[in-house]
Amino acid sequence: MAIIDWIVLIGTIAGIIIYGIWKTRNVNTTQSYLQGDYDLKWWSIGLSIMATQASAITFLSTPGQAYEDGMGFAQFYFGLPLAMVILSVFVLPIYYKLKVYTAYEYLEGRFNLATRTFTAILFLISRGLAAGLTIFAPAIILSTILGWQLNLTILVLGAGVTLYTVSGGTKAVSVTQFHQMVIILVGMFIAAFVLVFQLPDQVSFTDAVRFAGSMNKLQVVDFSWDLSNRYTFWSGMIGGVFLFLSYFGTDQSQVQRYLSGKTLTESRLGLMFNGLLKVPMQFLILFVGILVFVFFQFNRSPLHFNEGNVNAIKKNERYAVQYEALNKEHELLFEKKKEVIHGYINQLKTEQSDKIRKGKDKVNTLMKEEKELREKAAKLIKEAAPSASTKDTDYVFITFIRDFLPVGIVGLLLAVIFSASMSSTSSELSSLATTTVIDIYKRSFVKNQTDQHYLFVSKAFTLLWGAIAVLFALSARLFENLIQAVNIVGSLFYGTILGIFLVGFFLKSVKGKAVFWAAILTELIILIIFYLNETGIPVSIGGKEIVISIGYLWLNLIGCTLVMIVSMILNKILPTFSKKL
Amino acid sequence: MNSNNKWITSDLNDEGSPPILGTWNRLYLFVLVFHALLIFLFYLFTKAYS
Repeated sequence: MAIIDWIVLIGTIAGIIIYGIWKTRNVNTTQSYLQGDYDLKWWSIGLSIMATQASAITFLSTPGQAYEDGMGFAQFYFGLPLAMVILSVFVLPIYYKLKVYTAYEYLEGRFNLATRTFTAILFLISRGLAAGLTIFAPAIILSTILGWQLNLTILVLGAGVTLYTVSGGTKAVSVTQFHQMVIILVGMFIAAFVLVFQLPDQVSFTDAVRFAGSMNKLQVVDFSWDLSNRYTFWSGMIGGVFLFLSYFGTDQSQVQRYLSGKTLTESRLGLMFNGLLKVPMQFLILFVGILVFVFFQFNRSPLHFNEGNVNAIKKNERYAVQYEALNKEHELLFEKKKEVIHGYINQLKTEQSDKIRKGKDKVNTLMKEEKELREKAAKLIKEAAPSASTKDTDYVFITFIRDFLPVGIVGLLLAVIFSASMSSTSSELSSLATTTVIDIYKRSFVKNQTDQHYLFVSKAFTLLWGAIAVLFALSARLFENLIQAVNIVGSLFYGTILGIFLVGFFLKSVKGKAVFWAAILTELIILIIFYLNETGIPVSIGGKEIVISIGYLWLNLIGCTLVMIVSMILNKILPTFSKKL
Repeated sequence: MNSNNKWITSDLNDEGSPPILGTWNRLYLFVLVFHALLIFLFYLFTKAYS
């Protein structure tokens, strides 16, 4: 990487950290540290919400996903604007009226202390693990690209974000997120422009889009009812609303963002801002991935995008020769394919359907050959190092950034990735500390201390959660399938948490005891279902033996529905049961 | 209305209307219509390039 890129990267990251610390140097009360000074305007809230949700993996994986599977992933976000409106109408006014620090505080007033503490602990477990992952996942990719040691990358990311979050709390998170999000958006626009300008002279922007469309990469909306298809209009609109209601309405890392607003109006506008901009932003990121796909039809891409894997196999005497042979084959195939695609793009302009069909068949045949070569290379890498992960789509965009962007822009785009990682991690650390102090420490253990005591404890817990996240990230590679494990842990708890809140908001007659036992019972059922699902042990229902087999994402819906139904039943039964006793 | 009422209603009178469109309901409608329009444009985009 050129020295200018290093200056841009280090200057941007250090500038944001120093600005965050300097801007929040006067934060000297617990309220200011954990809740801000209620001084955020709507655009800051909106950008802060977006920055919290958009982790580094969003900017690394999403273009790679578009490169591989097209733009259908945009549908995942279709339920978000509706969720923003529902939260703005029903949930935000309640939080504001009660002036709560955390979402879980609401549960004590609505139900009881046990429900509040139980839900807060569920949040701390799932978000605490996720915080480690938001450092670990981009660190793997950045360390490969920058040639740094993985542990060093984790420490740089973790220490930087912990430093300013400990210093200024939620206020530091908000002021830095504003700048991080501006850098992210500017960086992605620049990447899109550079991609368009780096297309060959004979290929216009329209040609590129037309070509991508003919390769089935531009199918944004799919109205089919195919349940096996992960991203359709219906899964986005129905499943997405529940997912985003849960995430934005009950996850403290998001709730804390919009509760820092100057007024209820500013917070509501912040949510509407997110509702308006999120889907177009995801479209832009995916479209950048499509442009990368077209770009790599005219500029040779590596046979395998994960350079760490390639370097490892090149050092292995037994496999290096075979890999090099595949690489040569790939080079020849690329030249042939490039020529055919140039011809095909000219045929697309003629609108002669016969010629176009023949041209498309030729391109598809060569694409298939290239895919087979890539699969052979991945298989070879796996043979040489069985523990290597051969899924390389997360490396597509960063390979383009490093190898093809002009000097200076490389540093800026790497700053985008670092910023995205730090912005989501800082929200997580701040929300974890707030929940620990407000819902557990102050509420149940040390009740009547001075404000300075709670401020000190809040900073100590932020530091502790930062250290836990870094330690978790450092040891993460020791565990197989860690990402999946963390996602599963999230799905085990998210449905129950959403169910508790929905009962609180909408089932007005249900009391605390009923919802608490419903949540405990639901969580046990979810854990049993998960165990049966994982082990494949058959269950006898009505004389029939059934083996449970469901995707873990469905546990969210089951958990939420069970809490609501069981709490309604218990609400009827419990008073009668108490009277009899 | 019971004593628990403040925890289950969202009847807070906001300190003001949104800065544009006059009422919150109109603003919510704007966001949802904008989103519907966006999906429609995505649909046309999909059709045009498939």
